Amino acid sequence: MLKIIIPTIMLIPTTTMCKPTQLWYTTLIHSMLISLLSLQLFYPSLQPIMNFSNHNLQQNQTSTPLIILSCWLTPLMILASQNHLSTEPLSRKRTFIITTIILQMLLIMTFSTTDLIMFFVLFEATLIPTLMMITRWGNQMERLNAGTYFLFYTLMGSLPLLVALLSLYSNTNSLSILTMQLSPTMLKNTWTNSMWLLAALTAFMIKMPLYGLHLWLPKAHVEAPIAGSMILAAILLKLGGYGIIRIMSTTNFLSKTPYYPFMILALWGIIMTSLICLRQTDLKSLIAYSPVSHMGLVTAATLTQTEWAYTGAITLMIAHGLTSSLLFCLANTKLRRIHSRTLLLTQNMQLLLPLMGTWWLLASLTNMALPPTINLMGELTIITSLFNWSNTTIIITGLGTLITATYTLHMFSSTQWGELPQHIKIMTPSHTREHLIMTLHILPMMLLMMKPELIWGPLYC
Amino acid sequence: MNPHANMIIMSSLILGPMITITSSHWVMAWVGLEINMLAIIPLTGQTTTTHEQFEASIKYFLTQAAASSLLLFSIINNVWNTGQFDITQPTNTLSSTMMTAALTMKLGLAPFHYWLPETLQGTTTMMTLILTTWQKLAPLTLLMMINQSLNTSLLVTLSLLSMMIGGWGGLNQTQLRKIMAFSSIAHLGWMTMILTLSTKLTLLTFYTYITLTTTMLLTIKLLETNKMSTAMTSWTKSPMLNATMMLNLMSLAGLPPLTGFMPKWLILQELTKNHMTIIAATSAILSLLSLFFYIRIAYYSTITLPPNMTNYSQQWRHKNQQKPYLPLMIITSSMLTPIMPTFMMIL
Repeated sequence: MLKIIIPTIMLIPTTTMCKPTQLWYTTLIHSMLISLLSLQLFYPSLQPIMNFSNHNLQQNQTSTPLIILSCWLTPLMILASQNHLSTEPLSRKRTFIITTIILQMLLIMTFSTTDLIMFFVLFEATLIPTLMMITRWGNQMERLNAGTYFLFYTLMGSLPLLVALLSLYSNTNSLSILTMQLSPTMLKNTWTNSMWLLAALTAFMIKMPLYGLHLWLPKAHVEAPIAGSMILAAILLKLGGYGIIRIMSTTNFLSKTPYYPFMILALWGIIMTSLICLRQTDLKSLIAYSPVSHMGLVTAATLTQTEWAYTGAITLMIAHGLTSSLLFCLANTKLRRIHSRTLLLTQNMQLLLPLMGTWWLLASLTNMALPPTINLMGELTIITSLFNWSNTTIIITGLGTLITATYTLHMFSSTQWGELPQHIKIMTPSHTREHLIMTLHILPMMLLMMKPELIWGPLYC
Repeated sequence: MNPHANMIIMSSLILGPMITITSSHWVMAWVGLEINMLAIIPLTGQTTTTHEQFEASIKYFLTQAAASSLLLFSIINNVWNTGQFDITQPTNTLSSTMMTAALTMKLGLAPFHYWLPETLQGTTTMMTLILTTWQKLAPLTLLMMINQSLNTSLLVTLSLLSMMIGGWGGLNQTQLRKIMAFSSIAHLGWMTMILTLSTKLTLLTFYTYITLTTTMLLTIKLLETNKMSTAMTSWTKSPMLNATMMLNLMSLAGLPPLTGFMPKWLILQELTKNHMTIIAATSAILSLLSLFFYIRIAYYSTITLPPNMTNYSQQWRHKNQQKPYLPLMIITSSMLTPIMPTFMMIL
């Protein structure tokens, strides 16, 4: 595991010391090498042997896909940021790349730690680089508000989480994930235990986000620069899902009543946020609301605590991470050309940028969970496990899938078809770099379609 | 200042808390506090150009004198009841309550905090530094020595009140030294919260607080900013110091993985061990209030730059003054959390 962490840390001196003309190439190639190195973490998934573990850093099937995704995303972030940072002085470019690398390092450590308090400290530590990215390199004045909302929503939930973890520590005297999974404590449905569950889960629910606590998400995603949006949508939301899976495997309530509020909000949020997506005029805001509905599915699944549910949750997290990041990159290509996020200002882009139209098509198809993509595998597994939990959830989840397809088609047809607007005089053709970013997003999805066992989490052994 | 007077005042300033800390007799402790107070009055009264500065030193003198006399009264009460002057022997309830009141008045805890913002605002930055760090040493030591006779619920109430006042009071401030005053009130609240449960953690919080506050005030002095409006142009004076000021502010707010998180985490752990979970959660959430004004300073100075400056332009009359110990302090104020077990062992 140190094979991946130490090179990532060493990227920071690399960034400060390489020649100015080679800054982007060097960091890109090195972070790509690190991500290829991280692919070997898949190896234990294929056999029951765990090679990459010691007392402090360990990966199992739940966390390995997320580590690899966060390593994979760093070169893509560096690729995507080249355009909007080209006007900045060199020291600021370096600072931006260093912020990205620090974020990657913290994320790798978060997903591979074995202790829940260490997980908490690193979970909180990812807030600072993200805050710097949103408020320093965002575009509009609203980014200050966005950063404040982001920080305070997350911290308001995670401070009770700290107290809940410490009270668990004073009860069981150990917060190691490994031993807690083997002996989950059975809890009676008392007021104290319900409050403990509320304190422990709220932080991750805010991060997911759950429907009632999601107000920070549209602000943060819209105001962040492209690299910030990518990492937020792809990985930082999944921190919440990963945390819920860890916490849920440590406790077992004798009755399911304490989980009902979260379940209700998650299921209702799927429909509500999909409907909100249909009414958005801002492209980035539309793409920002769609994670809320997908993560609602993930939240509802992880709360049912079954094997199929965890599998579907992890699959959908990875698939949605790649899809959402791809959609944000596509929106960024449009933003760089017309400097506006309004949905209807660029219609019939298929005529002007046909190759980008291919990527728009693939992104929309994966977003609406077309078979046989991994998005569909995740969603179908989750829908099945929720159906097993309670038969009536099929109405909500089915309706959610339908509305997801509707707004995705609306987004695709608004940007690609329709009448060409009269005011577009100059539309620079697509850069090779942009095509490369899209390819690097689609390629893992296509490959994972061939071997989805890699991201199936605990179901595969 | 006259070098002879300066020498006398400085040595008395250092001598006073040393006498208090090392004494086991109540009267010697009180004498140390008095020497300290008499030494610092001329220092706070050095600059009397504005009315505000004049008032600050008078307020400081009156508060400290009142607190000292209340402490003397409680000492005499203690002697009358128990017949001995030993600090380490337990005292009776009335004496310990009055001692708590006197020492919290000296520290600047709520509800006796009203003198602190104006006093810290009215003096120079170096004096603010001494007032927030060195002056807190003697009263806090006395509180730690009598901690077994103190009333836990009184102290917890005072500390929660301090955290609330430190948080809400700092929200409307634009002067940086007043903000540091309210941050001092909130941090002292954290220190006294855990006083009866574990003096080790009080000491750890105190050391961390001294490091963070010293770094912050030295940064303010070097960048020569006293208000948030001048903090916005401090990046022209020293961009690196500006960036580290942001890290220092986050550390003061208690964000992981910086040093300021370490005492908060350990205090919450001790509180939950003693089944004070609701108090722990409340105090954790109250620290979010002070996070807001720290983040506001960080926004104005570091994270958002004026829109017309894309090229770095330095201030044209730039004095290059350095303090060689400042980088070490910055590192100490940001990166100590991973070696937390060391502190648990040595304290």
